[in-house]
Amino acid sequence: METSFALTGKGYVIVASDTTAARSIVKMKTDEDKIKVVSPHLLMSYSGEPGDTIQFAEYVERNLRLFHIRNNYSLRPSAAASWIRRSLAQSLRSRKPYSVNLMLGGYDVTIDSPHLYWIDYLGTMTEVPFGAHGYGSYFALSLLDRYVLSYISSKANTHFFLFTYRYHDPEATLQEGLATLKRCIDEVAKRLVVSPGKYKVKVVDKDGAREIEL
Amino acid sequence: MSRSYDRALTVFSPDGHLFQVEYALEAVRKGTCAVGVRGKDVVVLGVEKKSVLQLQDPRTVRKVAMLDDHICLAFAGLTADGRVLIDKARIECQSHRLTVEDPVTVEYITRHIAGIQQRYTQSGGVRPFGISTLIVGFDPNDTKPHLYMTEPSGIYSAWKANAIGRSSKTVREFLEKNHKDDLSREESIKLAVKSLLEVVQTGAKNIEISVMESYGKITNLDLAQIEAIVSEIEKEKEAEAERKRSRLAATAAGQASMTSRATEGTSGQ
Amino acid sequence: MNSIANRFATTGPIRELKKAQTRVEDDEFSDSVWGSEAGFGSLAKGVPNFTVPSVPDPSSFLRLHTDDFADPNCRIKIQHGTTTLAFRFQGGVIVAVDSRATAGSYVASGTVKKVIEINPYLLGTMAGGAADCQYWETYLGIHCRLHELRNRERISVSAASKYLSNLVYSYKGMGLSMGTMICGWDKTGPAVFYVDSDGTRLKGDMFSVGSGSTFAYGVLDQGYRWDLTDEEAQELGRRSIYAAGHRDAFSGNTCNLYHVKEDGWKFIGNYDISKLHYDGPGETPGAGYGYDIRIERTAAPRPIAVQA
Repeated sequence: METSFALTGKGYVIVASDTTAARSIVKMKTDEDKIKVVSPHLLMSYSGEPGDTIQFAEYVERNLRLFHIRNNYSLRPSAAASWIRRSLAQSLRSRKPYSVNLMLGGYDVTIDSPHLYWIDYLGTMTEVPFGAHGYGSYFALSLLDRYVLSYISSKANTHFFLFTYRYHDPEATLQEGLATLKRCIDEVAKRLVVSPGKYKVKVVDKDGAREIEL
Repeated sequence: MSRSYDRALTVFSPDGHLFQVEYALEAVRKGTCAVGVRGKDVVVLGVEKKSVLQLQDPRTVRKVAMLDDHICLAFAGLTADGRVLIDKARIECQSHRLTVEDPVTVEYITRHIAGIQQRYTQSGGVRPFGISTLIVGFDPNDTKPHLYMTEPSGIYSAWKANAIGRSSKTVREFLEKNHKDDLSREESIKLAVKSLLEVVQTGAKNIEISVMESYGKITNLDLAQIEAIVSEIEKEKEAEAERKRSRLAATAAGQASMTSRATEGTSGQ
Repeated sequence: MNSIANRFATTGPIRELKKAQTRVEDDEFSDSVWGSEAGFGSLAKGVPNFTVPSVPDPSSFLRLHTDDFADPNCRIKIQHGTTTLAFRFQGGVIVAVDSRATAGSYVASGTVKKVIEINPYLLGTMAGGAADCQYWETYLGIHCRLHELRNRERISVSAASKYLSNLVYSYKGMGLSMGTMICGWDKTGPAVFYVDSDGTRLKGDMFSVGSGSTFAYGVLDQGYRWDLTDEEAQELGRRSIYAAGHRDAFSGNTCNLYHVKEDGWKFIGNYDISKLHYDGPGETPGAGYGYDIRIERTAAPRPIAVQA
């Protein structure tokens, strides 16, 4: 069951996607990378109809690269997102549409801010502070809307349980962001019947895109 | 096909020439000069820049273009035609990555470009490209530099060093005399600059140099660097001229003494 | 009604096909003429061309007349049951397949070659529609050779599998049914790619495809290590196909085993699965893989060496 999450924080976007490639009841592969670095400061996770996903992702990747070579600069995240959405919307009105869901996380170096776009196979696009696709979204979205932090503090042999309610924090540090992501992953692992095993996590910030081990 | 016969423009002359293609070559000969030099593990492209007008932005005129991370192209001839061909080549580079997951080899993209040029000598309603190109680069997973040339006719060939454009014959002859195998980075750059100076009178400010050292590592020399090389070359030339002068003077002196001795001899008899 | 609507429709597969054909004819000098298009220009006209039945909607025609999910009572039964596997290890690639062809519940043949020898260093396996696999993998072979002639080097396994994947993807939804592994050895070493008619293409160490694949995985996953010796690897491939042949009704008869090494593939042998059950690969009675045979073997008193 394909799942992908993404969330923004202070100066970064984290994109995570499961790594299984399944066919009927069989996992064919458990280390498939479903997040493409489509330009120096842009990440794209993709899920949906097998075949369509990779074909569309590679099409996007090569066209953004072509843009870069022709013009000597890359499209900004907002521009790239618009172009990708339009490509998807045009294909939707063709004989054979691409059924692909995307999360597009980028860092706009011209205005120094992270951006995250949620795009579905119908060509819906919206900018979000956090988002998810697949079955995981049913668990993660509410969690990100509001999640509980619990501390146990011990003072003079007495234990206090402190419950702190926190919302997704756009000002969170990378460490806090990754901790939040970990909560999403754990929640899905706990509640989803056939939950994916491993996740690939990538981060994009002012220094570009890179992979992170959770 | 019924409409085929009226679509041809490039047709043979009775003695077997394609005049349009030859005229295209003429356009290339009028274009600014470009040289390519292949060293041991480096390849250098040098081009003659047209002097820009006082109010023109020089950055908008570029004659060396990146086709992909590892391939560069320089051309001589009609700049506008060059732009079209470069764009077609760039698309092919990305398309190749999309279909076989590997970057193009230098020979492959050369063959593709030459193929397009050939097509424009044999299709109806079009004219040939008025450009020759020099294509340099490294193949993926390889350390050997490559240099190719294509012509308007669609011919392509590999070279150790070559020149296209204005006075290319002079420059090629110069390269033939001075090129050695296994040139170092500095030697290759120097040879490129030196050969360009054969035809570029105005010196460093009208020369553009791109150096490719390995897969995807390209540097464009700035004006100061080129000026340094040019002045070094000029110094060498002066020293050479000085040596020549002194050698000439010496031989003249020798001859003079010979003749004077000879006259002495005759007078003595 | 539908057929008339389709005939005059401006969209739909036939229309698309016609459009593609006229486009090819118009462009007399397509890129393929000089062998470009990533070295994949076609023999004649560029676009890979394949004659589709001359009915308004070929894919629904196919769906109507074959047993593809909807109606099991159709006359044309496409071969679905199968077990194929391939894995990569230190000594190359092992490819092992069964040889049973079923059409519904009927065993149509017990001697099918499910490994397609694309060229001396590339193998493809066959699962799903036998004809689809045979036709397209042979077609792939033609293009691998053309690539080789044009670029003066052998095609990489990655490029070959990608070509096949793009090809079947362009026919997505038209009823192609293939699940294949493209195996070979190139500059990067041994390589296995899984390609299917959805357009999925996966690079990996180990794949198994077909109705018996789960049984094969069961054995394969337990015995697999990167540093298997050649003999161990061949035995693992054989043993896995045996397991699938034993447990899956739609797989069986014999096992064909191939080994791809640096200098190309080699056919190791054909093994009767019943014989493997009783006698093992060495044809020693009682040394078989079968559970009861094995139990009997361990239960029986061991022959005691008689000392002189």
